[in-house]
Amino acid sequence: MDKRYDVIVVGAGHAGIEAAMASARMGCQTLMLTLNLDHIGQMSCNPAIGGIGKGHLVKEIDALGGEMARAIDETGIQFRILNTKKGPAVRASRAQADKALYRQRMKRVLENCENLTLRQASVERLLVENGRVEGVETQIGERFYGQRTILTTGTFLKGLIHVGDKNYSAGRAGDFAAQGLSDSLRELGFKIGRLKTGTCPRLDGRTIDFSKTQPQKGDDPPQPFSFSTERIIQKQVPCYITYTNSRTHEVIRSSLHRSPMYSGTIKSRGPRYCPSIEDKIVRFADKGRHQIFLEPEGADTVEIYPNGLSTSLPLDVQIEMVRSIEGLERAEIMRPGYAIEYDYAEPTQLYPSLETKLVKRLYHAGQINGTTGYEEAAAQGIMAGINAVLSIRGEEPLIFSRDQAYIGVLIDDLVTKGTDGEPYRMFTSRAEYRLLLREDNADLRLTEIGHRVGLATLEAYVRTQNKKTRVGELVELLERSVVSPTEAANARLEALDSAPLRGATSLAQLLRRPEVSAPDLAGFSSTLEATPAAIALQAEVEIKYHGYIQRQLEGVQRSKNLEALRLPEDIDYAVVSGLSREAREKLSRIRPRSLGQASRIAGLTPVAISLLSIYLKKRKLA
Amino acid sequence: MYKEDTIAAIATPPGEGGVAIVRASGPDSERIAKEIFRRSGGRNGALRSHTLHYGTVQNPESDETLDQALVVLMRKPRSYTGEDVFEVHCHGGPLVARAILELILVRGARHAEPGEFTKRAFLNGRLDLAQAEGVLDLIRARTRKGMSLALDQAQGGLSKWVGELREELLDILVQVEASIDFPEEEIELLQRNQLAGKIGALKEKVSELIASYEWGRLFRDGARVCIAGRPNVGKSSLLNALLGEERVIVTPVPGTTRDVVEETINLGGLPVALSDMAGIRETEDPVEKIGVEFSLKRVEAADATLVVLDGSAPHTAEDRSVLEAVRQKRTLVAINKSDLPQAIDSGWVAATAGDKPLVSVSAKQGLGLDKLKQQLRNLLLNLPSEPPIMVTNLRHKVALEKGERALTAAMEAIRDGLAPELIGVELQEAKDGLEEIIGAVTNDNIIERIFESFCIGK
Repeated sequence: MDKRYDVIVVGAGHAGIEAAMASARMGCQTLMLTLNLDHIGQMSCNPAIGGIGKGHLVKEIDALGGEMARAIDETGIQFRILNTKKGPAVRASRAQADKALYRQRMKRVLENCENLTLRQASVERLLVENGRVEGVETQIGERFYGQRTILTTGTFLKGLIHVGDKNYSAGRAGDFAAQGLSDSLRELGFKIGRLKTGTCPRLDGRTIDFSKTQPQKGDDPPQPFSFSTERIIQKQVPCYITYTNSRTHEVIRSSLHRSPMYSGTIKSRGPRYCPSIEDKIVRFADKGRHQIFLEPEGADTVEIYPNGLSTSLPLDVQIEMVRSIEGLERAEIMRPGYAIEYDYAEPTQLYPSLETKLVKRLYHAGQINGTTGYEEAAAQGIMAGINAVLSIRGEEPLIFSRDQAYIGVLIDDLVTKGTDGEPYRMFTSRAEYRLLLREDNADLRLTEIGHRVGLATLEAYVRTQNKKTRVGELVELLERSVVSPTEAANARLEALDSAPLRGATSLAQLLRRPEVSAPDLAGFSSTLEATPAAIALQAEVEIKYHGYIQRQLEGVQRSKNLEALRLPEDIDYAVVSGLSREAREKLSRIRPRSLGQASRIAGLTPVAISLLSIYLKKRKLA
Repeated sequence: MYKEDTIAAIATPPGEGGVAIVRASGPDSERIAKEIFRRSGGRNGALRSHTLHYGTVQNPESDETLDQALVVLMRKPRSYTGEDVFEVHCHGGPLVARAILELILVRGARHAEPGEFTKRAFLNGRLDLAQAEGVLDLIRARTRKGMSLALDQAQGGLSKWVGELREELLDILVQVEASIDFPEEEIELLQRNQLAGKIGALKEKVSELIASYEWGRLFRDGARVCIAGRPNVGKSSLLNALLGEERVIVTPVPGTTRDVVEETINLGGLPVALSDMAGIRETEDPVEKIGVEFSLKRVEAADATLVVLDGSAPHTAEDRSVLEAVRQKRTLVAINKSDLPQAIDSGWVAATAGDKPLVSVSAKQGLGLDKLKQQLRNLLLNLPSEPPIMVTNLRHKVALEKGERALTAAMEAIRDGLAPELIGVELQEAKDGLEEIIGAVTNDNIIERIFESFCIGK
């Protein structure tokens, strides 16, 4: 009765979906195992996709041929571009999702995906022989065999939910936890840690007085995530903003001793960028109020997600706290907020392919690696899926460099630095070559690669190549087209608050003015007027930021020398003379692939790096 | 980065002394030591590490004995360079040490380049870069002040100062980065003009540090001062008086001093090389003419000039041309022979010297010398007060200049209304500049600090 597959994916969250789809679409017989077939692609926390740094990841997933962007484009109910007042490199897309529709849409696409089998099962144990994973065994003793296995277990490994002084075992509210799997990993020698995260109570929208809040509308027209989506057609809804006040803070402060975070029940650390409301009030005691975003969970439900109110306080305190807030005086809680603790495997135990160092053919992706966020999970999922297939094919793994993709930054950080006891989230400030890694050029950076490995479609590839050509032509046109200092031209510039022309000036020259954007120049050129926005934006960025982009490229070139120096797999750090004990220990544990990666290990000094480079040279001579 | 060979050199200064030391470092050290050294009492076997052994140094080819000596072998890694090192402590004649070194070179070692032992110590992780730089400066220090500056640097004085500037820069970067990564949060960020103000203040501090290099360089390398004046005003006498001893031949015949005489004096910790020049005057004598031209060149290259006038005689056309020649230079004017009745026209002196400081001295009687020294020191260290920290190293100065340029660019970017991520590029570059001095750190520090400073968490 044993079944054989090419790739087994354990978990059907945001990482599992991308891993399974990538594998199946690349032609491998794929099995997806989930605890609950009704909860595929569930948004356990915030009903939203994207954000600064995260939107970048979603666009990259899309460029590679992933699913997340198209899913949110089909089910999003409010789209906004963040940072529009800043430069294009840090502009990012964000959208509220209709949570139920998103889930159903994902399930439908998975069910219709060729080469993919879905099964509801609770995996308890990995089947490992001779240091290689051969498959998995379920709670009821069923065995599945696969050439490669990908674990995307999210918060489910020994998940423990806390509300006040009550706690119970669960993977998330309403789902069972996976009890045996993390013990199986521990027995195999993995270092398993524990992290904490939390979520907000959900409110009944019919009991909220929205007239006391400020509405926040989405962009009109909404801008899609996917490079393949033409436009968003579903109805859009607003979110609302309200604030906590001194009474809210008083309620929380007087009940802190009843919070599992402060009573000492929860010892693991939560993410500081997504703190519970009780954390915010303790750590920033002098702040008079905190913003709360009231976000609809869907078009067809009254449930509201009060973003900013994550809490694990007892239910009676949650109710009092919520009702102290303007507009929520009569609000009813439909689901309580809670904190959840779960097991994760320290990601420094992975190769940059996401294959584990300890067990061959086993891949970890998503929250099991100590990350937080649907987008971070999905990004790892697609990479684990691609690399599992490449490994079956006997090809080199696909590893992005830090100047190539946010995905590269994410995975390099994880396998090099680990999580340092706190869930890892993407920010643009983590990327040293931020100006190169923009949402607008994700397709230009990655689609060709996605197509080459057999994931991105031919259609996407052709579209991207066309975009490349058209952008090149447009840049050339803008450099070539000259505007004379006529009255009409200067009147146009004056309308833009831009200085009048003194002599003939190229359109490219005008575009370099900070206050001028490509659409502003439409009146000067009929070709530009007829150019699609995405092409015009791309040309604008290339012209406007040419100098800065060039500087970052030079930086990339400089660091390439270090990245190109490979550290052999079999290197014995004990014999590298001069290294401190700490440096030896870190290098032996993380086993960086290159001198560049080694230089990013926390606590490794420049001297240690020069010692390593000397050792490499000696080794080459020997 | 370096060849894995064995290097050797005489470690003690040249000349005669009680003991001379020849040092070798590298993988062949122990073999060479064994080949050339015969322990007394005919004992054989391995040399115990870190122990002085007594015996003779012999050429194994000819059995010729070169000297009686003490030999110490220090096996790696516990040695100065971190490699196998051996030292021969021989009798302190230049020929003896030279012969032993040659023997070691013949046995397979290479003559070390200057500083190569310390370089190896650095490459083998025995010293960090700043320490190595400090050690080299310490060795080269010529005054106590120079020594204490080097020691301060070796002990991290400069690093601490630069570290504080870096902290300030990180605070600014955090503002910029938080505004980029958390636009939806209600965090109070600096306005553009406040940001520019903070960057400007930081840039000032970096510029001051760069300016201190001039001080630091003078203390480390010493200043050069030319003594100029027409013949027979007493330049040589003044030089001798400043040196405290007669070293230059003094005669009343004009034009006696043709060769440049350079002597170093210690001006309150500042090493000053004084050069006495051939007199600057119109001359037909071809030899003296060369000397005069040479003098003018020296004046150009010096950090300052000390012009000497004869107070006991009326000024001449030559005095005027000397003062003309140094008009653009930092100059102190000394009116010599204050012990004799004064005949020089003080109104002329005041008008011709302009704002250059004046001092009356008598080289013969030793009058006014302390005041002259004080004035000369002030002139060389042309800053209102001693900077609290000094940059003495060119590498550090270059890194600071990179930081200064980037901070200026950041201010321009703000002025031009450029996007924050572009301001960030400049600030990152400034951060790189500062970190080149004190060691690499990653972007994680900024993210860490954002969470410390702001309540983030939509």
